[in-house]
Amino acid sequence: MKLLEALNAVKEMRRRKGDVLPCDLATGFCPLHLKTFLQAELSKVFPNRNVEISEGLFGDLCGNLDRFRKSESEFGMIFVEWSDLDPRLGIRSTARWGETELSDILSTARSRALRLQMQIKERSESKLMAVSLPTLPLPPFSFTPSWQASSYETDLREIVQSFASAISRYSLVRVLNSQYVDLNSPLKERFDVESELLTGFPYRLPHASTLSFSIARFLRPQIPKRALITDLDETLWKGILGEDGIDGISWDLEHRSQMHALYQRFLGSLASGGVLIGAASKNELSLVKEALRRKDLALSSSVIFPVEAHWNPKSQSVARILDTWNINADSVVFVDDSPLELAEVEAGHPGITCLQFSTGSSQDIQNMIFQLRDLFGKSAIHHEDEIRSTTIRRMNAREGSFDRAITADFLEQTKPEVNFDFNKTMLDSRALELVNKTNQFNLNGRRHTESSWMTIITETAGFLMVASYRDKFGPLGRIAVIAGKAEEKKLKIHTWVMSCRAFSRRIEYKCLAELVARFEPEEITFEYEGTGRNAPLRDFLGEILETNPSPNCTVARVVLDRRLANFVKLPETANG
Amino acid sequence: MDNTEARLTNCFSAIFPELTDEQIRNATSTAVRGWDSVAGVTLIAVVEEEFDVNLDSDELSRLISFRGFLDCLRDKELR
Repeated sequence: MKLLEALNAVKEMRRRKGDVLPCDLATGFCPLHLKTFLQAELSKVFPNRNVEISEGLFGDLCGNLDRFRKSESEFGMIFVEWSDLDPRLGIRSTARWGETELSDILSTARSRALRLQMQIKERSESKLMAVSLPTLPLPPFSFTPSWQASSYETDLREIVQSFASAISRYSLVRVLNSQYVDLNSPLKERFDVESELLTGFPYRLPHASTLSFSIARFLRPQIPKRALITDLDETLWKGILGEDGIDGISWDLEHRSQMHALYQRFLGSLASGGVLIGAASKNELSLVKEALRRKDLALSSSVIFPVEAHWNPKSQSVARILDTWNINADSVVFVDDSPLELAEVEAGHPGITCLQFSTGSSQDIQNMIFQLRDLFGKSAIHHEDEIRSTTIRRMNAREGSFDRAITADFLEQTKPEVNFDFNKTMLDSRALELVNKTNQFNLNGRRHTESSWMTIITETAGFLMVASYRDKFGPLGRIAVIAGKAEEKKLKIHTWVMSCRAFSRRIEYKCLAELVARFEPEEITFEYEGTGRNAPLRDFLGEILETNPSPNCTVARVVLDRRLANFVKLPETANG
Repeated sequence: MDNTEARLTNCFSAIFPELTDEQIRNATSTAVRGWDSVAGVTLIAVVEEEFDVNLDSDELSRLISFRGFLDCLRDKELR
C-alpha cells in the first residue's frame, strides 16, 4: 500500500463514523507514517469501526508499555528496534562504541529485553499483543568487516531470539515471523537514514507498509481450513499406480520425486495439528491400500481417512468424504495435479479451495506448500485437534452410528460424561476456535478476534461456559461454548456453538439444564439469527420454544423446566 | 489543471480532507490550520512517493505552500 492510499483509507474510515476501536501502538521511535499505515490496514480488517491508535513518547518503549497499563484498548501493537534495547544502537546517539561500551550495551540490552518480556507478559493477560522484533540492520559498531559477524552482533541477536522465544509462549502474544518479513521486505530497503535523522521515523515507506500489513493479519478474524483431500497419482507420489505398479511410484531424490516426499511430510505435519486428511483417487482400491502400506511413506498412512479409490467422478468422492467428516466444502482444500479434476470438483462443491500440484516445477510445489501453511495455519494446537481424526474413524466404524436411532438407553450404555467449565479469566483459544469455525450448531454465526472475544466475556455480568464430553469410546474434548450475560434473574445468550462431532448426544439439553441450575434465571433470551447454515441450532431452539426461533426469542423458566425434564438423560457431571 | 497539478491536489486532499480544490491551490503552511510539522513531513513523503522524486533538504524552504510544491515538481520535470 502506498502512503497516499493509506491516507485516503484513513480519510474514508473517518467519514464512516463507526464505533471507536481503541488500540495501543508502542514504539521507541516516532511512529509517523507507520501509524497511518496501521490505521489504514486495520480499517480494512474492521470495516465498521473507527480505528483510534494511541501512541506514547519518543525514545521510551518500556515507558510507553507502562503507560498502556491503564488503556481501554482492545489490543496492542509493539514495534521493537535495536535502539530500544540500548539507545547507543541507534544512529541518533553520540555515545562511543569502544570495547568497554559494547560489553555494556550487551548488558543493557539483556536487562531491557527482560523488562520488555515482563511488561508484555503482564499486558497480554487481558489483551492481544502483536510484536514486531527488530527489523533494521544493526549499525556498524563492531571492529569486524560487514561480512563477518562479531560476537557482539551474534550476542545481540541471541538476546532478541531468547526474548522472542519467551514471549511467543504467552497465549495472547503474536510475534511477527522474521522470515515472513525478510521475504516481503528486502533488508537493504528498510532503513531511511534521512528520515531517521530528520524526524526520528526510521522506516522507508514500503517497509512500514509491509510491517503494518503483517501486524494487521494477526487481528483479522481468520478461520483456518480444517481438512485436505489429496489426489494420489502424480500428487501424493510420482507415477501412476495402475501403470507403474506399487514399486514404480516414488517420492525420493533418486527418482527426482523428492517434492512429493516434502508434500507427504507436510500433510503429516498438518494431520498432527488436527487437520483431517482424505484421499480421492481414480484407482483400484486394493492397489491403493497396498501402496499406502509401503513402509517408506513420509507420512503415516493411518492419518489418511477416508480413502476414496474408484473410477467415479472425483466430485462424488469429495461428497462422500465431506459426508464422513460432516464438514462443509468451504472448510476444505482439494489438491490434484489435473486441472480438469480440479475444475470438476470446484463445480460440484462451490466454496472448496482447489490447488494444483504442479508436477513440472519443484518451485511451484514449494510455493503451494507455503500457501497451504497459510490456509491451515492457527495460533495453537489443542487436545481436541489431536483426537479429531481418531474420533471420526471411531464414529464411522461404530455399529449403530449416532445419527441413527438414538435412544436414551443407548446413550446410557455409552457412559457419557459432560464437564462444564465457567472459568473466563484466561483466553481459552479452543473455545474461541469453536466459536469461529462452527457453522451448523451456531446461534448466530458471529465471529470474533481474540480481543473482541476477551472484551465480551470479561464484561460485568458476562459468563462463559465450555462443555467437554467423553464416553466409553473415548474423549471428544471441549465441544460446546455458551456465552452471554446473567443479570437480574435474566439470562441472555449471545454465543452458543457446538461441534458437529457432538451431535445426537443431547448435550445441548444438558448445557441448558446446567445454565438453569447455575444461574436460576426466570427466563432465557437467545440472540438467534438464521445464517442459512445453522439449521441444527434452529431446530433445537424450535423444539424448546415450540415455534420457529426469531431474533432475541425468549423462553420462560417454567416452560424450560418442562422441556428439559423430557430430554435431559445424561448422568450427573462434574463442574469446573 | 494539468496532470501534475491534479495529482498534487490529490496528495494535499488526503492530508487536508476538509479543504476544497480551490482552497488547496491557495494553501500555505501559515494559512491552513493543521499544516504542522507532522503534516509537512507527511506531505513531503507522499509527494516523493507519488511522483517518484527526492525532495532535497535545500528545497524544503520552498515546500511551504501548494504553489511551492508545484513549482518544485515542475522544475524536476524540466531537468
